[in-house]
Amino acid sequence: MTAPQLNAARPADASVGADDAPARLVRARDVLASEWTKLRSLRSNRLTVAIAAVVTLGLTAVVAATFTAPLGARHRGAAGAPAPPVDRLATSFLAFAEYTVLPVTVLSVLVFTSEYSSGLIRTTFAAVPGRRAVLAAKAAVTGAAALVIGEVLAFACFFLTQAIFTGKHGGLSLAAPGALRAVLAAGFTLAACALVGVGVGAVIRHTAGAIAAAIALVALVAAACLALPAPWNVRIGRFTLPFAAYEEVTAHPPAGLFSPGLSLLILIAWPAAALLIAAIVLTRRDI
Amino acid sequence: MGVALTVVALGAAFVVFCLVDLARARVRNLPKWAWGVIICIQIPLGGLAYLIFGRDWTRPAGPASPPPSLPGVTDVTAARPSVPRRAPAAPVVIEVDRLTKRFGPVTAVDDLSFAVRPGTVTGFLGPNGAGKTTTLRVILGLDAPTSGIALVGGRRYQDFIRPLRQVGSLLDATALPAGRAAWFHLLAIAQSNGIGRHRVSEVLELTGLDTVATRRTGEFSLGMKQRLGIAAALLADPPVLLLDEPVNGLDPEGIHWIRQLLRAMAAQGRTILVSSHLMSEMAQTADHLIIIGRGRLLADTSTAQFIAAARHDVLVRSPRPGELAALLAASGATVRREDDGALAVTGMDQATVGDLAVSRGIAVHELMARHASLEEAYLAITGASTDYRAGGALSTAAPAGTAVR
Repeated sequence: MTAPQLNAARPADASVGADDAPARLVRARDVLASEWTKLRSLRSNRLTVAIAAVVTLGLTAVVAATFTAPLGARHRGAAGAPAPPVDRLATSFLAFAEYTVLPVTVLSVLVFTSEYSSGLIRTTFAAVPGRRAVLAAKAAVTGAAALVIGEVLAFACFFLTQAIFTGKHGGLSLAAPGALRAVLAAGFTLAACALVGVGVGAVIRHTAGAIAAAIALVALVAAACLALPAPWNVRIGRFTLPFAAYEEVTAHPPAGLFSPGLSLLILIAWPAAALLIAAIVLTRRDI
Repeated sequence: MGVALTVVALGAAFVVFCLVDLARARVRNLPKWAWGVIICIQIPLGGLAYLIFGRDWTRPAGPASPPPSLPGVTDVTAARPSVPRRAPAAPVVIEVDRLTKRFGPVTAVDDLSFAVRPGTVTGFLGPNGAGKTTTLRVILGLDAPTSGIALVGGRRYQDFIRPLRQVGSLLDATALPAGRAAWFHLLAIAQSNGIGRHRVSEVLELTGLDTVATRRTGEFSLGMKQRLGIAAALLADPPVLLLDEPVNGLDPEGIHWIRQLLRAMAAQGRTILVSSHLMSEMAQTADHLIIIGRGRLLADTSTAQFIAAARHDVLVRSPRPGELAALLAASGATVRREDDGALAVTGMDQATVGDLAVSRGIAVHELMARHASLEEAYLAITGASTDYRAGGALSTAAPAGTAVR
């Protein structure tokens, strides 16, 4: 044990409140760096993403090799009608939609709830009293990481599926109509779901409840809509994240869905709403 | 940087792609209600942008910024002359003024006012549930006060852009990210206030944690967690330190180390507020004591005064207690008979009692000056305000009425 050694360079009067306030942009850079350090220094984050990527690519290959029934045929085709062609685009992202989106959403929920459950959130907000700056930094870092992971995996899934399809249904190239948009949108969907997770985690604070709520928002609400009677399943369902994402990635959109542009707005609106509620709640609540 | 550029490029490309797609093929066919939906979605986006980049909503209505720190009484208190203030000895660094914090029906802090001055270690004492931690949280801007104000250096904590450079704090040492290495934990805190990496290594060395810097904090013992918490508080070498129960879980060597550290920092002119529920610990560390119970101020005094004001008397044992008692009472002392026949004399010192007894030829078998321990004085003050107490456990405490205030 060493005796206390203090920084002798500091003036003894140690004036408090001296205004060293830098510009808000400088603080934004500081907080972004801090949140990025937090995100990358957790081994569990890296492991989960790696496992999700391996599982996604493996199952994508399995799906591509075995898929014969067209996606969505159940809801469109009448019995006895000739089967529509295989949706070579949407099939690429079948595994991605479950085995990447769900784990990454859960990790995003943990960005806030892990700090709340350990009490670390008080350290965070004592270091940065601007709570919206913390929310914005966490959202930016998590969203950016999810976007990179999503785009990389979406491109990988697309090329893997098309390579396997080449011998069966005929593979698509990236130049095929709607292909590039589908791949980019699939990656963007991951970022949207991650941001929904960040917002839900900040609002609900408790890990179990927040994970349940986030999964409900990014998956279960759409599943519930599918159970509605005929015209209403799509009419209501098209406002949900999975329907909007499906519209973006499919080559044969079912009738009743929004246009790709509107679907993109829905993909943006969900995380925007989640983060907006989080921003309002965070500044009004005791920590 | 490369990652950021990639993200921006991908995002921009995607947005442009979709906009082109929208403009080229869809706009002409877009029904009116779709435009309505687009506008409705734009509104929350605009609101979000406003919240993030716009006005600071954390500031309550009222004067935008408190007056700058003045020596002694500030304007805030001058407006309320009914509040008695001590004469200023040194500029006030931490000022809590008529602070009240309620959680539903529970009043955690009740009209609490005190000031903390630089150059001393100020002990913040109170039984469990007295409101110490709540007060510290309000000072740190984590909890919003129901009424009243808490200022650091004349400013609200929330108004500091890089608060760690002004105030180092330790609220809960066990609040750590279990999966993150200690070094990264400190680095994240340092980066958030623009503090260089070399300070992370320095504070780890200062707290004796440099050998375990790469271990995950979940593996730390309570003592190591306390040291890590103190390391985080010292990151920016701040002029003000707020520590909540920093010695919990430390071994005697660690307690000694903290005591030395706090004294050295106070000697440099820093302001140090340390909370504890242990009087014995504070008596050895603090120069000044602020004692609260049930959220109210019970005592705001120097440690020396507190000790001096504590009960003290002279115990005298004699074979002729009745005569001696009458003699002492006649000489101006107050005499109380103890259960075992001894006399407790107040208002007269040991030597005078002995001299008086000899002058009348009364034998004295025992003569002893007694000082109530600090622990007893503390219990006497806080006894009535303890939230959770064992039945009858306090019956041996010194009688009430020794309150300092």
